[in-house]
Amino acid sequence: MEFNISQLNAPGLFLICGAIILAVMAVCVLFMVRAWRAGIAIGMDRKKLKRTITASATFTLIPSISILLGVIALSGTLGTPLPWLRLSVIGALHYEASVADIAARNIGMTGLNATEMTATAYTTIALLMTVGIIWGMVCMVLFGKRYCNRLQRPKESGKSGAGFGDLAMKAMFIGLISAYIGSYIGGFVSLPAHDYMPLIVMAVSACAMAVFLYFVEKKKISWLDNFSMAGSMLVSMAAAVVVGLIV
Amino acid sequence: MDMQQKNTYFDTYNNNTHRIGRICVILILLILLAAPFAMGLVVGAAPDLKAFAMGFMSIAVIYIPSCIVEFLIYTPMLGAGGSYLAFITGNLINMKIPCAVNAREMTGAKVGTPENEIISTLSIATSSLVTTLVIAVGVLLIIPLQPILSSPALQPAFNNVIAALFGAMAYRYFRGGMKIAALPLITMTLLCVLVPSVISSVSFLIIPSGAMAIGIAFLIHKNQQKKELK
Repeated sequence: MEFNISQLNAPGLFLICGAIILAVMAVCVLFMVRAWRAGIAIGMDRKKLKRTITASATFTLIPSISILLGVIALSGTLGTPLPWLRLSVIGALHYEASVADIAARNIGMTGLNATEMTATAYTTIALLMTVGIIWGMVCMVLFGKRYCNRLQRPKESGKSGAGFGDLAMKAMFIGLISAYIGSYIGGFVSLPAHDYMPLIVMAVSACAMAVFLYFVEKKKISWLDNFSMAGSMLVSMAAAVVVGLIV
Repeated sequence: MDMQQKNTYFDTYNNNTHRIGRICVILILLILLAAPFAMGLVVGAAPDLKAFAMGFMSIAVIYIPSCIVEFLIYTPMLGAGGSYLAFITGNLINMKIPCAVNAREMTGAKVGTPENEIISTLSIATSSLVTTLVIAVGVLLIIPLQPILSSPALQPAFNNVIAALFGAMAYRYFRGGMKIAALPLITMTLLCVLVPSVISSVSFLIIPSGAMAIGIAFLIHKNQQKKELK
């Protein structure tokens, strides 16, 4: 059966994703109400609690738009409902896109792209995106209480233990990116198609990020950082369209 | 409420937070895991479990340690309630952590205190609700744009989402970490140029590449510790 990318925007998919997002919102409301009541009960100032809510809402508004841009960026390959779910629950743009690509390659596609998408690829990608990122939640269920209680005890030594963890996380992503850059260069140099588009897109995206970071760090426009990732992606994707139209 | 009563009340609140948090996380996990199969009913195909297993091996090596590190680092910052919510709703580094830290600084709450627990939970719950609403409104607005988004002229853009992502990430991560990046980058490039058949298995290349990067990072960390001791 011929697969059409528009099937990934079926009302049934919106319904499934919408129901899950509603359930997560209900959990947020539950925690919010409990925290508010507990705050009042232990004598915290109502004004302070209100200010926390107002400040957090305004603080979140602009970064939320950048996450929405991520949904738009992924919607061309995965439809709208799945990126909507993934970026509303657990997910983060850098994670979702890379895991979706790994899943696509394991199912026999050349990478995450709209032209090769099938129904099986779609559901496999959805499952892999979910299972790959649930481990923070699993850790909270298994060790959350013990870890939190331990943290409340006074420390026996000054060591935090988190020093290498931060560097290791950075190194893991560097390894991931290096493998992809190598594959793009190899694809351009050694494969018959000599596909240059990923290299152009990557270079434009890196340049766009450099411009964003220049304004964030040198000109101190810190709110712009919220848009740097999604903005760089959209600029480079626009470049791909322009190159595609010219060549 | 005196200090004794306050502590007793807060202990009960904390215990209930863990109980409710665990129940909510387990329920959300179950519906999230069921979702791809439910989606399969809509699109007419179940997930390919063999491809899933292969893909999982590739991502597990990167993302399970990453999730564990996030759990270890961010839980102390967010407190119990905040952590349960943050791990359910995601976007930790780019949104939840800065939002909670901002709220904490604004109210002057200290880490590990009941006030911090309350402020952090309120902040992350609010942030999650606002994000979800903004994305939901945005999604409603982009539905009419779907025919444009799927037009052939835009396909080069959507076929290169990953390159777009890694270009931006490469600049961010490499500029302060070229010592870590140099060896895996050169090795992976040479490997893909000289043995082009491995290009289609990039998800497996992540494993040696990631291992190399972590190994180098470990050596750098050890050297820094030695220098600090001197």
